[in-house]
Amino acid sequence: MADFLSGLLSVLTPGSLLSILAGSVLGVFAGAVPGLSSTVGLALVLPVTFALDPAPALLMMISLYMAAEYGGSITAVAIGVPGSSPALATTFDGYPMTRRGEVGRALGISLFSSMSGGLLGTILLVAALAPLARAAIAFGPAEFFGLGVFGLAIVANLVGKDPLKGIVSALLGLTAFVVGLDVLTGAPRLTFGSSLLMDGLALVPMLIGFFAIAEALESIASGRRRTRRLAGAGSGFPRLRELLGLWPSILRGSAIGGLIGVIPGAGATIASIVAWNEERRVAKRPERFGQGEPAGIAAPEAANNACVGAAMIPLLALGIPGSASAAVLLGGLTVQGVAPGPLLMTERAGLVYALYAGFFIAVATMFAVGRLGIPLWVRVVAIRPAILMPMIVAVSLIGATALRGNPADAWAALFFGIIGFALLRRGYPLAPAVLGLILGPMIETNYRRALTLSSGSHAVFAENPICLILLVFGLLSFAAPMVRNRLGRQRATP
Amino acid sequence: MKDRTCRFATGAGWVLALVVVVGAACGDRQEVAFPGRAIEIVSWATPGGPSDLLARALAAEAPPHFDGQRVTVSTRQGGAGAVGMQYLTRRAGDPHVLGVFTASGTVNIATGRIPFDPGDFTPILRIQVDPFLVAVRDESPFRTLNGLFEAATAAPGSVSVSGFGAASAHSLGFARLRGAAGSPDIRWIAYEGSGDAVVAALGGHTDAVHTNYNIVREHLRAGTMRVLATALPLHALPRTPSYADEGFDLTPAHWRGVVGPPDLPPALRDDLRRRLLATIETPGFREYMERAAMEYAVMDGPESFGAWMAGEVATSRELLAGLGLVGE
Repeated sequence: MADFLSGLLSVLTPGSLLSILAGSVLGVFAGAVPGLSSTVGLALVLPVTFALDPAPALLMMISLYMAAEYGGSITAVAIGVPGSSPALATTFDGYPMTRRGEVGRALGISLFSSMSGGLLGTILLVAALAPLARAAIAFGPAEFFGLGVFGLAIVANLVGKDPLKGIVSALLGLTAFVVGLDVLTGAPRLTFGSSLLMDGLALVPMLIGFFAIAEALESIASGRRRTRRLAGAGSGFPRLRELLGLWPSILRGSAIGGLIGVIPGAGATIASIVAWNEERRVAKRPERFGQGEPAGIAAPEAANNACVGAAMIPLLALGIPGSASAAVLLGGLTVQGVAPGPLLMTERAGLVYALYAGFFIAVATMFAVGRLGIPLWVRVVAIRPAILMPMIVAVSLIGATALRGNPADAWAALFFGIIGFALLRRGYPLAPAVLGLILGPMIETNYRRALTLSSGSHAVFAENPICLILLVFGLLSFAAPMVRNRLGRQRATP
Repeated sequence: MKDRTCRFATGAGWVLALVVVVGAACGDRQEVAFPGRAIEIVSWATPGGPSDLLARALAAEAPPHFDGQRVTVSTRQGGAGAVGMQYLTRRAGDPHVLGVFTASGTVNIATGRIPFDPGDFTPILRIQVDPFLVAVRDESPFRTLNGLFEAATAAPGSVSVSGFGAASAHSLGFARLRGAAGSPDIRWIAYEGSGDAVVAALGGHTDAVHTNYNIVREHLRAGTMRVLATALPLHALPRTPSYADEGFDLTPAHWRGVVGPPDLPPALRDDLRRRLLATIETPGFREYMERAAMEYAVMDGPESFGAWMAGEVATSRELLAGLGLVGE
């Protein structure tokens, strides 16, 4: 109790509250700018935190992490470019809603769901730190393989009208992930002797290329004026009743985000895509997904913010970072002399409670900062694409090189932009390719790891219950839309 | 007489003037040259990771020893380090740009993945080793390193060890140990990061993990993991046997140090080394070393550090060939 009080008091100091505010503002910004992400934002404030005491330093970082997960949805909703990769799924329904002229409503749903997801993820962290950490380490190569296949099966719902084109797009992503050094042997694959390709094709340049550059090229080529003064019409924040009505989606999204977020290495991007897909699956009218369905914004946004609290579980309880952002956080903690691990809760209880309290305040601050920003974003959407898109392309290209400082990333973004443009023109969906790039490495390396451990016996995948369940569900979710299509067609043409 | 004095005075005046001018010019060049502006430390590793933290600890403590100049860290990732190394080699002769070089650098050079050689840089100072060890989860039946090897010999292929990377400083460190033990059939399960490799051992997916002390320190303190042996005797773990205690005469280690761009004049190189030596002796830097669980392992100058790096590349190349992992 004394620890709890001292923890709470260390959060309620002006310095700590200022750190949370600064972290939230920077986080929304880092999330919203395509190319920047919570990881880049954290890396940028890391040197700043060295000068702070442990509590404010930690609070600044977690509030930045939290706010960036919402920030990513701003650009996803407003211009259809995911500000960071976990916001990819938010573009599916967020951007169509904006094109209907309801940008304020879309941003409001995203912000409210982000806040709720962040809150539920924090409650999960506080309530179930130790048991969930134990569950997380039970996830071995076979389970990861199952999760990867389960996630990849979602392409069936992203393929659009022509399943073949969707599968081609997914295969393209699966080919792109192969580029680089093979994790298990260290052998270079598809690098064509270039050392610049050694670290592989990163996700961020692909997102920027596909969603910012390809879209910009498309709007030039088609010469269409996409925005007929979108602002004004629907710039209002949604009513509380509509937001509260989304609670089942938010709850499901948060649960998926919480579970996947706990597993080290799975990540918010996968969680939000799975959440979107699950929402579509349980919906009464799944065909409305992708057309601007509120639940299609609420679930993925709740999921990626729930991941923040969940990703802290392996970090705090095991000292193992569950995401790239958590790895930067671990660096910041090390410098502060805080060693996360099994003893943290007993030795630094005050700090852990400060962290818990800080999370709740950070979620509230994120909401306030996000709410104040919405009128601004509504005006950004009103800028003519001819002016806005080149600006976005320029900012994204700078952002693309921000994390690694590797100029090759900007070239990769341009390359993906041209590929993406060519695909768009011919009616190929781009999301399956992104899914392939994200999940390919998880599926391949864990498949091979599991087989190495089982001396080459495939029985390992069937004997592992979690893996088996994930594989079966994956198969069902892959086949279901096609079976439904077929049945629908047969009924239509008797 | 007067004339002579006058001439002498004039001559002396000229000489004095010359001395002053030359002296000023020399003095000027020395002072303006270094450190004339902010120092940049290039890191080609992940932000927040151990190399990045070393760079940042140096940057925080260095300014008083670099005449108050600002010291910044820049991240240039990509190409398994090639991007950062290329940046450094393009600044030949400029003492204001330094790079954090690690065991991963020499291994990547040995694989032939990156078109550089330790000779392309000016070796300045090796600072630390990040000791390797073999650890198991608490429930594990293995009590000693030799016990692990004996089990692998008795039932070939039954024992697995996880660790970072396939052709990495970590995998080669373990390959050396395994070689010294008579190459028992142990499966090396490579992971993308050291943390993931520890999770695999903690979850019982692999039998043991070969990693660095700082990654498992908290688990050792909490008793959730046990260390079988450490590569070097560690003052933090006085009762834990070292590889030497277990009968293996080798001390593989992950190390980190600072190199400069190529073609640094010896005087500047020595100047940099002195300033960096002073930096790593500060209380702030010592505190970082303690917190990060690193061991001081200072090695300086081109004769020792440079020759040693070249030796590391040669050893790594042999090990990679032995594992069938050498590139083209």
